[in-house]
Amino acid sequence: MTSQTTLLNTRFLTAGYGPVTVLHGIDIEVNEGEIVVVLGANGAGKTTLMRAISGTIPRTGNIEFEGRSIKKDSTDAIVRAGIVQVPQGRGTFPELSVADNLLAGAYVRRDGAKAVADDIAKWYSVFPRLQERSTQRAGSLSGGEQQMLAIARALMSRPKLLLCDEPSMGLAPLITRELFNVIGQLNKEEGLSVLLVEQNANLAMHIASRVYLLETGVIVASGSAAELSADDSIRKAYLGF
Amino acid sequence: MELFLQRLVDGLSEGSVYALIALGIVIIYRGTGHLNFAQGEMALFSTFVVYQFGEWGIPIGIAVIMGMAVGFTLGAVTEVAIVRPISKKSPFAVFIVTIGLFQLLNWVDGAIWGGQQLPNTGVGSKQVRFPSLFPNNPTDFVTIFGANIKIQSLGVIALVGVLTVALFAIFNHTRLGLAMRAVAANGESAKLVGIRTGRVLMASWGLAAAIGALGGVVFAGISTNVNLGLMFTVFIYASAAATLGGFDSPGGAVVGGLSIGLIQNMAAGYAPKWVGQEMKVGVAFLVILGVLLFRPSGLFGTSRVERV
Repeated sequence: MTSQTTLLNTRFLTAGYGPVTVLHGIDIEVNEGEIVVVLGANGAGKTTLMRAISGTIPRTGNIEFEGRSIKKDSTDAIVRAGIVQVPQGRGTFPELSVADNLLAGAYVRRDGAKAVADDIAKWYSVFPRLQERSTQRAGSLSGGEQQMLAIARALMSRPKLLLCDEPSMGLAPLITRELFNVIGQLNKEEGLSVLLVEQNANLAMHIASRVYLLETGVIVASGSAAELSADDSIRKAYLGF
Repeated sequence: MELFLQRLVDGLSEGSVYALIALGIVIIYRGTGHLNFAQGEMALFSTFVVYQFGEWGIPIGIAVIMGMAVGFTLGAVTEVAIVRPISKKSPFAVFIVTIGLFQLLNWVDGAIWGGQQLPNTGVGSKQVRFPSLFPNNPTDFVTIFGANIKIQSLGVIALVGVLTVALFAIFNHTRLGLAMRAVAANGESAKLVGIRTGRVLMASWGLAAAIGALGGVVFAGISTNVNLGLMFTVFIYASAAATLGGFDSPGGAVVGGLSIGLIQNMAAGYAPKWVGQEMKVGVAFLVILGVLLFRPSGLFGTSRVERV
C-alpha cells in the first residue's frame, strides 16, 4: 500500500438506534492528508457512520485514531483528540451570532483568546460572507452560508480530521461546487484530512483521494476515484452516466 | 405623586420576586425545553433551610449564600438523578415528574418544619421574624418627593438589577454562558464542538434553583415569615412573567416579572373600586392575554424562524 500514516481506521464498526442495527461491520481507513469519500444512497447509513465515529451514538467494533482506540471515548474527548464533525443540514446554533458560533467551535481549545481571535480572522478571510454577517444570527443565513459557517466552526477546534456529513444537502449545484472547492483547498493548503459522506457523487469524486461505496450498512467496494469511475456498474449506479 | 411613587416601588419590589423565580424557569426552559413546575417549591425548600440557618445563629448575609448553595445542589441533583434519565424515555414525562417533585418537596418541608408560619415562638423559634436582607424596621425608609419608600423595597429592586447584569455578563461573556447558549440553541451540535452538555444542563438546573432560593428568601423577608404556601402564588405569577417576557429570554423574564408586579399594584391602587386587592391578579392576566395575542412568543421571546 502507501507509506502514509494511518490517521483513522475502523474495524468491524457496528452501530444503530435501539433495536435497529444500521451499520453492519464497517472497515474504513483514512490516511493523513487524504480526502476519503464514502458514497451511499439515502438510508445507506452515512449519517450513522459519522455519528458512530463522533461517539454520539453507541457503537461496537473498534475505532483507532492515531493508533489509539477511541471506542470508549465520549464525544467531547473525541473532539479534543482532533476529530470534529460538521453535522448534516443546518447544524449551526441558529440563535447565536455568526461570531459566537465560531467562538463555540473553539470551545475545547486552551491556547488563549488571542489565538482563537486569530483563527476567527483567518476563517473570515477564507469565507468573506461570514465576516459580512458576523453579528447576524446564524439562523438568518442562507443554506450555503450556514454550511460554510458549520465548516468554519468545525475548523475552529483545529481538527486533524474533519468529518463532513453530506455537505451538498439542500444546496444549489453552484454553491455545492464552491463548497467542495474550499474543502479541496483546505486539504491541499492546510494538509487537512477529511472523511466525507455524500450521495452527490459527481462533485465529491473530483476531490477524493479514495472512495468507499456504502450500501445498507455494508462497504461494497473501495478504491481510487479513477478506479471506481472506470467500473461500469458503479458508474451507472452512482454517477448516473 | 407620593402615591404613584409608593405604588411604583411596591410594584417593582413585588415584581422582583416574580422576576427571580421566572429567571429560574427561563434558564431551565432554554437549556432543556422543560417547564420546571417545581421551581417555586425548590425555592421554598431552600428558604426553609435559610430559616433553619437563622435559628442556628448564622447571620442572614451568610445564610442566604449557604441557602443558594443548597439550592444549587438540589437543582443539580434533580437534573442528574431524575430529569436526565426520564427525559431520555419521554420528554413529556419530565413535566409530570416536576409536578410530582412539587408535591414531594412540599411534603418534605411539612414533615421537617411543620405546617405553621415560621418563625413562630409557639414552636420555640429564636428569630422573631424571617430575616430580611435589607434594613426592615418601621423607621427604615427614605422620603422621596414626599413619599415614604422602604429601604427594603429599594434594596430588593437593586438586588434584582445587579443580578440581572451579572447573569447577562455570565451568558454573554463567559465560557459557561457560551456553552449554555449553544446547548439551548442546538444540543447535538453543542456535543459536536466538544461541550459536555450533561454538565451544562446540570449547571443550568443548579443556577436556576440557586436564583430561586434567593427569590424565596427575598419574598419571605418581605412577608416576614415562611410557610408551606409561600411560593404557590409566586410561582403562578412567575410563570406568567416568563410567558409575558418570552420563555427563552432571561431579560424578558425580568421585565415580565417587574411588569406584572407593577400592573397589579397600579391597577389595585388607581382603580380600587373596579379592581381592588382581590382582583389585581386578573388585571395582570388580562394584560398578558393582550400581549400574547399580538406577540405569541412574548415580548422578548424568539419566534423560531429559520430560512430553509
